[in-house]
Amino acid sequence: MTLSTLLTIAVPEIIILIAAMSVLLLGVFYKNTTSLFGITQLTLLIAAYFTAQLPIDVKLTAFNEMFIADSLSMFLKLLSYFALSLVLIYSRSFLQSRNLHNGEFYALTLFALLGINLIISSYHLLSIYMGLELLSLSLYTLVAFDRNRPEATEAAMKYFVLGAVASGFLLYGFSMLYGITGSLQIAEISSRLSDTSINPVVLSFALVFVVVGIAFKFGAAPFQLWVPDVYQGSATPITMFIGSVPKFASVAMLIRLLFQGLDHMVLDWQAMLLIMAIVSMLFGNITAIAQTKIKRLLAYSAISHVGFMFLGLATGTITGIASALMYIAVYVLMTLASFGLIIHLSNQGKELDQITDLSGLGKQKPWCAFLLLLIFLSLAGIPPTIGFYAKFSIIQATIQFGWIWPAVIAVMSALIGIFYYLRIIKVAYFDEPGKNLNQVSKSSNNELSVTLSINTISLLIIGLFPSSLMDIATLTSALIF
Amino acid sequence: MVTLSHYLFLGGILFSISILGIFLNRKNIILILMAIELMLLAVNINFIAFSHYLGDLSGQIFVFFILTVAAAESAIGLAIIILIFRNYKSINVADVNRLKE
Amino acid sequence: MIFTDYLFYLFSGILVLASLRVITANNPVYSALSLVLAFFSAAGIWLLLHAEFLAIALVLVYVGAVMVLFLFVVMMLDINIEALRQRFWSYFPVALLIALLFIFEIYLVVTDKFFSSSDPAGIPLEKSNTHSIGSVLYTDYLLPFQVAAVILLVAIISAIVLTMYGKKSHKAIDPKDQIKVNRNDRVRVVKMKSEKKK
Repeated sequence: MTLSTLLTIAVPEIIILIAAMSVLLLGVFYKNTTSLFGITQLTLLIAAYFTAQLPIDVKLTAFNEMFIADSLSMFLKLLSYFALSLVLIYSRSFLQSRNLHNGEFYALTLFALLGINLIISSYHLLSIYMGLELLSLSLYTLVAFDRNRPEATEAAMKYFVLGAVASGFLLYGFSMLYGITGSLQIAEISSRLSDTSINPVVLSFALVFVVVGIAFKFGAAPFQLWVPDVYQGSATPITMFIGSVPKFASVAMLIRLLFQGLDHMVLDWQAMLLIMAIVSMLFGNITAIAQTKIKRLLAYSAISHVGFMFLGLATGTITGIASALMYIAVYVLMTLASFGLIIHLSNQGKELDQITDLSGLGKQKPWCAFLLLLIFLSLAGIPPTIGFYAKFSIIQATIQFGWIWPAVIAVMSALIGIFYYLRIIKVAYFDEPGKNLNQVSKSSNNELSVTLSINTISLLIIGLFPSSLMDIATLTSALIF
Repeated sequence: MVTLSHYLFLGGILFSISILGIFLNRKNIILILMAIELMLLAVNINFIAFSHYLGDLSGQIFVFFILTVAAAESAIGLAIIILIFRNYKSINVADVNRLKE
Repeated sequence: MIFTDYLFYLFSGILVLASLRVITANNPVYSALSLVLAFFSAAGIWLLLHAEFLAIALVLVYVGAVMVLFLFVVMMLDINIEALRQRFWSYFPVALLIALLFIFEIYLVVTDKFFSSSDPAGIPLEKSNTHSIGSVLYTDYLLPFQVAAVILLVAIISAIVLTMYGKKSHKAIDPKDQIKVNRNDRVRVVKMKSEKKK
């Protein structure tokens, strides 16, 4: 490995690291937080430029084969920069009104992004673990960032305890994997597992721990305990961040570990993923019906969406991966729009909390109500929005693989989901305004509403022309192996 | 004669004790944190035993990094505990339950 | 049995007992001290496995820094131990059953022929353990080493961001707050019935 190859591969990460540290320093001496926002956005742009320069059809490795740049890493990294950029635009006014808008916030989000990038590009168990911990530690801090609000600290505590236990499980699995194969490098693990003298019981014992660890980080049922509390307790911009960008890292971790490292055990992990997919879809959608708080409802809906993604990945085929990648991109776009809307509708003092707070929106803010209609139709998976196409491609991949009954369960759970998504639309359009209706605050700035509108309308436009996004996802997944 | 299995079994016992500890002390956050330390110790014993019996140094390197990260993790965990105590005047999980409906 | 085997059983016995004490002690301070004992015996076991550098690092970093931090926090917070112990033993039978089941499963897995090697390959001894770790740490493992530095930086930032509240302890009065003071914040007029002298 020469210095120049290293620089071409890892230059986005180096830029992010330098930017994170400079933002931290500038935040101390320089009180103009708007410029911190600008620097962070500029960093994302530069990192995206250098990431896009890498070749898509060659696998380049660096740092003793711990770090890989391939089609998957490029696809997921570019999406992460884009999603984080939107998160920051949505968060700014909210954070400013709560005195949370400072250098530490931007530094921690950039450190979290660095962790995400590292996980996406990891080709070694050790670098996966280090990236994961960098991401998790930054996220624990961000959840507790609003430190004088008891709910936020409680959410941070729950997230921390369950996250640390999940890391422990993942590490125990890694240690068994290391003992069985004698290596930590993913390609080497894969080649040593082709040796048939290994007792399959020992191997599946290690696999169980690895899969449990991954499922915890995804928030898939039955390891979803932390999701509702963390979604509800954190400040809305943080919830938006946790619900969107780290999902790209989780899917990369799953593909690297299971598809590239443990590909000889495909039958074992296929069954585990399928069970978790079905449990997540049903549990998420059924529990969401009973929710009265909008962030909790979105948390349970997130669990069911993770279930859909697991279903696509469980097929283990290229089309399955492509549909899952498509789904995760669409899901993140919808999550950003939905939380962006919540921020837009939150007053300076009071956050939009109960679903009933939305009543009368259709009469008072027709444009907001229209955006809400589009977002929730897309989450429910109703055509012509992109949410429909994403669900459709997952179910198509499942049927192609020959799994009829999982596809039937997926359709059924989507139908259950439509019920509570439509209830929100009904509240917004047909219920009489309550006395505690949140007026959109004057301070809500233009950049937020314009971004929100574009983000939401794009759900419709991509839904009408989904083929280009699907082509990119298919190309990416075809080049993974 | 002590074999690799002995060390792995010791790691397994420690791992189970730590899970037992998390179950039993569901109300006490500090003890949960200590149980997590025990869990990482179990993992470390596994890695070092494998490293010795495989004759490969990378297991020991992994332990080196687990130690580093665990120190950082417990610093953040204790900071969160202090915040919880400031906000709720208690670290009893039974008192810290605003997020349930 | 050779001498190191006796040492293994001695250390692992202490380790298991100390860790049981960690999770069942009445007082968090005793738990923390038992955890220190557990780390010491684990360090002994690591010495048997020829991981000298890590054994000493465990004692120095863990016992010396992390556990002291734990003790500080435990002693700083005014914890109501009684409330934390309520219904402690009511979960015990179920939890113990699960733990025993888990130990049994691990027993089945680790006694597999695959793990029964009693003759360690061992790491070649031409260099000391510290020397060999050092020589790969900054070359082959450069990436995780850098990331570890970033993780420590994040830990520093978050510990400060979360727990530092500025200098609240000084007694100076802020003039800005003084001007803003309302009469109603300071004086409360209470209406009472006049009391009779007995």
